[in-house]
Amino acid sequence: MLKIEKLVAGYGKVRVLQEVSITVPKGQLVTLIGSNGAGKTTTLRAISGMLKPESGTVMLAGADITGMPSHEIAKRGLAHSPEGRRVFSTLSVADNLELGAFTRAIGARPRGEIRQDRERMYEMFPRLAERRAQFAGTLSGGEQQMLAMARALMLNPEVLLLDEPSMGLAPLLVEEVFATIARLKERRVTMLLVEQFAAAALDVADYGYVLENGRVTVSGEAAKLRGDPAVRAAYLGAAH
Amino acid sequence: MLQILAQLIVSGISVGMIYAVIAFGYQLTFATSKTLNFGQGEALMLGSLVGWTVVAYTGYWLMLPVVLAFGLVQGAVVERLGVRQAIKTKSESGWIMATIALGIIFRNLAENIWGRDALKFPSPLPETPIALGGVRVLPMEIAIVVGAIAMMAAVELFNRRSIYGKAVVATANDRDAAGLMGINTGRVITFSYALSSLAAAFAGVLIAPVTSTGAAMGGALGLKAFAVAIIGGLSSGVGVVVGGVILGITENLTGYYISTGYKDVPGLVLLLLVLSFRPAGLFGRATIKKV
Ligand SMILES: Nc1ncnc2c1ncn2[C@@H]1O[C@H](COP(=O)(O)OP(=O)(O)OP(=O)(O)O)[C@@H](O)[C@H]1O
Ligand SMILES: [Mg+2]
Repeated sequence: MLKIEKLVAGYGKVRVLQEVSITVPKGQLVTLIGSNGAGKTTTLRAISGMLKPESGTVMLAGADITGMPSHEIAKRGLAHSPEGRRVFSTLSVADNLELGAFTRAIGARPRGEIRQDRERMYEMFPRLAERRAQFAGTLSGGEQQMLAMARALMLNPEVLLLDEPSMGLAPLLVEEVFATIARLKERRVTMLLVEQFAAAALDVADYGYVLENGRVTVSGEAAKLRGDPAVRAAYLGAAH
Repeated sequence: MLQILAQLIVSGISVGMIYAVIAFGYQLTFATSKTLNFGQGEALMLGSLVGWTVVAYTGYWLMLPVVLAFGLVQGAVVERLGVRQAIKTKSESGWIMATIALGIIFRNLAENIWGRDALKFPSPLPETPIALGGVRVLPMEIAIVVGAIAMMAAVELFNRRSIYGKAVVATANDRDAAGLMGINTGRVITFSYALSSLAAAFAGVLIAPVTSTGAAMGGALGLKAFAVAIIGGLSSGVGVVVGGVILGITENLTGYYISTGYKDVPGLVLLLLVLSFRPAGLFGRATIKKV
């Protein structure tokens, strides 16, 4: 469904990604782990068009989307819940969700469908339902994180990129986020998940990639990576 | 004595609303792109002169949609020619020079087409003042206040209610994130320039029946409205109305009690004060992200 090959990208003259190749098959959950500054966020940005790759290819559902502007890529069904939430702070929760469906809202689709999708999001995240009329900027960090995720889902994406959905959340909320991801997986949403909680990510994922200094160093079945001594030592910690 | 004061205040309000509308236009482009059209005054002047030509054929009310459409196109042209490249290359000041240069070009163009003299603009409303509790008000002055508020309210309604308006607000909040929603943010910025020139052109045909029009009318208005925009806050609609009205009244008082020759001075002094007290942080307050 999503296939990136030999992706090279960076900021100005600084190269961050060195020929990164990742495949996310349809209906699967793939996780990308690695230490701070390894280039995980940069990878997602280069996929979704927030950053123009220097070389390499990004294929979405068989079509080459390399270097397209992000709004074109969104139209083709790729949703990206970016690092740091990035909700629209002076718009209400309901409006944030509506904008998540912007590509559909401006098409011929009936409005009712989008409203129904929004109701589904409220069922999935009851806390958002209570705060639907509130400005997104006034939500707590955890609520903003849920909103960012729900907003991305409003696109009805072919592929969903999630960048550290648990960042800055209390342990209880982290569990909630992972439960949500597991539910999305049951619904066969194709996902690429970047997480700092590598162990938890490998628990829900089908497949995993380890990124080090802009290169994929290890990859394999999630369960296998979980048992790999080198991965355990570097990313999972002794406690796991 | 008091009556004269009241008179000066009331007629200052309508001029102040014109400043508010132009300043509102500055806010529109600043919100989405952190850039301003320093040719706003010339956009007002062009709109007004186009209106002067059209009004002879159509009358005032039918002239309005033509002028508004012209404003949209003119603003889009400014963005395409002067601003887009600067935003793309993240140039700090390219857009400043470019929009000033375009403003000068527009002014030269206007001088060649309409000449340098002031032109009388026919008023759609009776030109005899109405007495309101001892204060004499021109019907057109009331129309200016109503028109200005209606225009700002219409934009606000559009932003709050329609999906495209929400896309504009989203772009203003976080351009990259808006792009991820599928919003073509480059087009949103073009649109905000178009809308800002539309506001200026509208202000141009609102004020013209009271003051007359001409190629020279834009410069001072644009500068003074800039001061209003900075003082009122580049993101506060209420701020520019308050700032604009205070300036309009102050100018009238200066004109009466000191000399009409010094009427433009308060606004320009205000501008100088703004520039000297907040030289670097001119755009500071509004750029701080609200979280
Ligand atoms: N906007 C930027 N400009 C310049 N360099 C950047 C920028 N963003 C990231 N970098 C650099 O690129 C490298 C990779 O950053 P990236 O954000 O992709 O890491 P990450 O794996 O997501 O890390 P984290 O786990 O901390 O989120 C880092 O060395 C970082 O300093
Ligand atoms: Mg990151």
